[in-house]
Amino acid sequence: MQLDISFIWTAFRQILGAIPTTLSITAVSVLVGFLIGAVTALARLYRVPVLSQVSSAYVTFIRGTPMLTHLLLIYFGLPMIIDGLAGHFGWSFRSASIPMIGFAYISFSITAGAYMSEVVRAGLLAVDKGQTEAAHSVGMTTPQALRRILFPQALAAALPNLSNSVIGMLHGSTLAFAVSVVDINAKAQIVASTNWKFFEAYLAAALIFWGLTVLIERSSAWIEKRIGAYNRGGVA
Amino acid sequence: MGASFDIGYVFSFLPKLLDTLGVTLLIVAGSLLTGIVAGFLVALPRMYKIPVLRALSGVYLSFFRGTPILIQLFLFYYGLPELLKPLGFDLSRAPVMLFVILAYGLHTGAYAAEMIRASVEAVDRGQVEAAYAAGMTPYQALSRIVLPQALGIAVPVFSNLVIALLKDTSLAFTLGVMEMTGKAQTLGTLTQHFVETYIALALIYLVISFTLEKVLLAAERRLNRHEAREERVVRRFALGKRGSYRAALADIETGKGGGI
Repeated sequence: MQLDISFIWTAFRQILGAIPTTLSITAVSVLVGFLIGAVTALARLYRVPVLSQVSSAYVTFIRGTPMLTHLLLIYFGLPMIIDGLAGHFGWSFRSASIPMIGFAYISFSITAGAYMSEVVRAGLLAVDKGQTEAAHSVGMTTPQALRRILFPQALAAALPNLSNSVIGMLHGSTLAFAVSVVDINAKAQIVASTNWKFFEAYLAAALIFWGLTVLIERSSAWIEKRIGAYNRGGVA
Repeated sequence: MGASFDIGYVFSFLPKLLDTLGVTLLIVAGSLLTGIVAGFLVALPRMYKIPVLRALSGVYLSFFRGTPILIQLFLFYYGLPELLKPLGFDLSRAPVMLFVILAYGLHTGAYAAEMIRASVEAVDRGQVEAAYAAGMTPYQALSRIVLPQALGIAVPVFSNLVIALLKDTSLAFTLGVMEMTGKAQTLGTLTQHFVETYIALALIYLVISFTLEKVLLAAERRLNRHEAREERVVRRFALGKRGSYRAALADIETGKGGGI
């Protein structure tokens, strides 16, 4: 078996069609994960009675177990719960009507939520306490201080970690093959096994992922520069 | 989908899964060793700014951090025998474990390199200058002064690295290695009690990561005992400042953000 350079290009073009699936899984998990992360991080920071303990347990559990187990647990566990409830309450909704990609969305969002929770928390902690105090002293309420003063600054502080998490979720989306969603990785597998050229197909997939990652890194660095512009030292 | 939920299965699966814990830990230990060696090889040219090697290690870092570990596993498994065949090595009969450890090792190496570089840079420049002033050679300065101090700084990042690696090993079953996740899938298929198996699996991973974290936290405390107790104030995010950099590093998740 010899390395077939031209097949890399053929595989590359075929795999390109799976990019939207990968990106949509990444986007959904990052966005929903950020919401979950923000809520759990605030609950922990403000020590909201029950919610903060639940959040801590959630973050510890998710960060201590592989993403694949979350996916498999959701994939096998969720239908059990839904069908059990549906049978009990007589709903017409059945778990079979959930599309495969739905399981990936749900489970990866839950995974991302725990990592985002740490990112948001670290970002909020990085903002000087004086900022909140100043906001309160000019008469802002806590939600106002959070939205107008803390969040913008925390976002700038959290951006490098945020971009790491986005890349982590992009790479994690390769696990979707376990619930038979055809993302870049699964497509590479299909192209590889139909043509019996495994190395070339995975090389093409690796190049695509590499490109996407570099793109995310570059744009994050660019945004970081813009968003942190107010924070430079000096006199001019 | 499968039989109804029975919590008893979780407990009966635990010992069966623990049988394969050795394989998982072997992958973790083997890749960690490979990773640290690779990490040093990659980090040194970057720290000492050696012209060509520095660019090469940049490409290495970018590639291994820029592609998913799952893709890397397949690349190594299918690609390495093909690439090495013209050189006279026949890997077609090599054990799968070799490819798995090599792939995880080089993947970890990229993160280890960044960890080494960041923690060495976090050691105050004055320390090296003082070592030179006392007449040490560059090697002596590195091994006697910088690395022992960098070690304490590196531990929190190292802890994240090991736990990320442990979780990543759950993908080794895709190449047919019978580690814990692979065993769990087999058990699930045999008994049709998938949820119970994966709960048992998650519990084991959770306990191991938790233990690793606590052990490494204790190690960090011990390695940093020479440091004066710093008041843990809330810091601004100006990372460039020397004073805050060192403390800030410990709070930041250098390396793997989320994922797998």
